[in-house]
Amino acid sequence: MDLEFTELQQELRDTARGVLASACPPSLVRGVFEATAGSEGADALWATVCGLDWPGLGLPEEHGGLGLGVVEVGVLVEELGRVTAPGPYLATVTQFVPAVRAAGSSFRLADVAAGTCTGTLAVAEHGRWAPGVAATRADRVGDGWRLRGTKSHVVDGATADELVVVARGDAGPGLFVVPAAEVVATPVESLDPTVPLATVELADVEVHGERVLVEPGDPASASAIGRALDEATVMMALSTVATCRSIFEATLAYAKDRHQFGRPIGSFQAVKHRLADCFLAVERAGALAWFAVLTVAEDDDRRPLAVAMAKSAAGDCAQLLSRDGLQLHGGIGFTWEHDLHFSLKRAVTGDLLLGGAAFHRARAAELMGLVPGHEGAA
Amino acid sequence: MRLRFDPSVETVRDEFRDWLGANRPAPAEMAADPALSTGHAPDWMRRWTRRMFDAGWLVPGWPPELGGRNAGPVETFVVLEELARARVPRTSNVQGLGIVAPSIVDYGTPEQVRDHAMPILRGEATACLGMSEPGAGSDLASLSTRAVLEGDPGSGEWVIDGQKVWTSGANYADFCFLFCRTEPDAPKHRGISILLVPMDTPGVTVRPLPEIVHPGEPDLNEVFLDSVRVPAANLVGRRGDGWAMANGSLAHERGMVWVNAVMGLEEALEQLVAQAPALLAGMEPAERALAADEIVRIAVDTQAARCLGQRGFAKLARGGSAPEQALMKWYASDCRQQVARVGADVLGAGSLESGGVPNDGHLAVDEPRGTWMEQYFHSFANTISAGTSEIQRNIVAEKVLGLPRG
Ligand SMILES: Cc1cc2nc3c(=O)[nH]c(=O)nc-3n(C[C@H](O)[C@H](O)[C@H](O)COP(=O)(O)OP(=O)(O)OC[C@H]3O[C@@H](n4cnc5c(N)ncnc54)[C@H](O)[C@@H]3O)c2cc1C
Repeated sequence: MDLEFTELQQELRDTARGVLASACPPSLVRGVFEATAGSEGADALWATVCGLDWPGLGLPEEHGGLGLGVVEVGVLVEELGRVTAPGPYLATVTQFVPAVRAAGSSFRLADVAAGTCTGTLAVAEHGRWAPGVAATRADRVGDGWRLRGTKSHVVDGATADELVVVARGDAGPGLFVVPAAEVVATPVESLDPTVPLATVELADVEVHGERVLVEPGDPASASAIGRALDEATVMMALSTVATCRSIFEATLAYAKDRHQFGRPIGSFQAVKHRLADCFLAVERAGALAWFAVLTVAEDDDRRPLAVAMAKSAAGDCAQLLSRDGLQLHGGIGFTWEHDLHFSLKRAVTGDLLLGGAAFHRARAAELMGLVPGHEGAA
Repeated sequence: MRLRFDPSVETVRDEFRDWLGANRPAPAEMAADPALSTGHAPDWMRRWTRRMFDAGWLVPGWPPELGGRNAGPVETFVVLEELARARVPRTSNVQGLGIVAPSIVDYGTPEQVRDHAMPILRGEATACLGMSEPGAGSDLASLSTRAVLEGDPGSGEWVIDGQKVWTSGANYADFCFLFCRTEPDAPKHRGISILLVPMDTPGVTVRPLPEIVHPGEPDLNEVFLDSVRVPAANLVGRRGDGWAMANGSLAHERGMVWVNAVMGLEEALEQLVAQAPALLAGMEPAERALAADEIVRIAVDTQAARCLGQRGFAKLARGGSAPEQALMKWYASDCRQQVARVGADVLGAGSLESGGVPNDGHLAVDEPRGTWMEQYFHSFANTISAGTSEIQRNIVAEKVLGLPRG
């Protein structure tokens, strides 16, 4: 196993980091938090991202993409997470696209690559992420399907052009693409406006033809949904760990800079050991996330367990870094004026979306055969 | 980034696996005569180390005259991995092969290499590492065992007085790689030198210290040095450079020690997971869920230790620096402790019953063995020795993160 970037991947990372330093400064993120500039900042950032062909980076050339892989997408996800970038990248590229591709479809991928279509994936209901417990119904009507139910915590749910929905028919779960115009999306006021959430209601929405990605009862259904969710989940883990790393770096710099009792606070062992623990948590979660990315990229059998482990470790990491990052900043970290809270909030958001640490440990327990699984779960 | 190495590396793996299959010591032979201390090499172990040396597999990265084949780091990694998988140690004398011999090769004279390093590499001799003292543990640089040169540096003798403690393997070792204060007036880090001291030198007294588990097979010892005389030529490297060399020698194979630590951890986890269905089956649902969670947590840690090790290793193999490496000793030893603790918890009161797990000879003496609870106590060997977990945190904070010394 070779868990280090190739030279090309490193170049991509360096380029992305350079671009984002000027395209997504903390002032832009602050604008999103304070909604001072409408969505101008985020729109400009998205225009930059599209100008660099990042939405299509991991898509095959036949769909207008750059033909790179899941690892390269991960490189961008990390860099965007690092600066707590707002915008449709996360939902479109790491949720919508994997769902479409896992189903073997190319629906609107060329538009995504061209930067003219955004999307998302609607899985959760009442904040629960297990696709096996989805109650949203899919019922046959003529040659299509009728969807009915309510999805919660959909990233970009009120703004994305297309929503992939997990819904359950009599024969099991399926995947459907619904256009924004057909759903009733209610934005949720949430802690982190860089990852906007919405409740999405499907009131007898009919879908036909290529919008039916995977039919309930299709023998490939469970594996397609599993694959899509795994890719979305591991990318959320990667993004979250990158955000945590930036909390860590800010806290480390602060510990060297801030003096009390006539010396840098970072010279106190109680502070040192906490920072060493934080460093371990970030490296640990990062290594697990990249391993899981590789299992997705190479379609390895270990994927479901690797992803569950990676997301649970990202959750542990977010919990530790949001706690110690804030605590070690003292009073200044508690203020709205300081930029730290952008990444604290993004970290806890990334922990909980697509299932928190405990959820994924429970999943791992099922996958390891330690507890009985849900019969018929996807 | 990818899950598998190049085909050329896998060729090395296949070649080594074939050789290992044909040449390895038989499990029955190992179990019949396990090493009793890290200084003790049973006959099968001596023959086996020699066989690896002759075939160039013992330290693959070294040239053939030193028991290697000039292999790259990735090939070396693969060999270590296959050995651990086959449950065959390269040696029982881990500190001899891992620290003493490489240090002599790096800093010693040609005669010292011939007379002290080579016998270790050929499985003919074992060495112990005399660093810690009653008054100098974590603060090793404050050690006070004294050596005074009588006569001139060419033909004189060192006269040594003092005491070492926690000296692994001293009860069987042939010689000691001894850290002494030779420059009492220099600052404490610059006054230490290393001497090669045959254990049968008059004035050397070894007293074994039975340990909290397996007390019948002590590895730790006190070593008393009373007017011990060794030739001036037994000085390794330059006078006063002992501390700098210690940092070099502890760094030896640091790029690789994690492989054994992680594979030991994986083996322990595998056993726990294999036992789990039977242990969990009788539990009430709530207890079962909590026990499963404990197992999952340590499984995540185990996977993380593997991935961290591989990630750091990949950076080193490319010639870069790898901050992950500084985490491995601390993290892997903590995880090893935790897996034993979880095993004991899940097993319940049954884990209080001791004994009954024979030593099959495949684990190094300092690796936890026995029942889960015995393993738990044994595992502190690795969270305490070679820099405690607290000292490891200090090192990470200061050397890797650049935080100021307190
Ligand atoms: C199984 C085993 C094998 C060993 N083998 C050898 C060997 O072959 N040769 C050899 O020379 N030595 C050997 N040792 C000794 C080992 O290196 C020391 O035990 C170790 O360095 C700790 O020293 P100490 O025992 O004196 O504990 P102390 O240094 O007294 O530490 C006691 C406690 O205080 C903590 N502490 C101390 N200083 C600090 C600090 N600055 N910051 C935070 N916490 C601190 C420690 O972490 C520990 O928890 C071995 C030890 C064991 C357990």
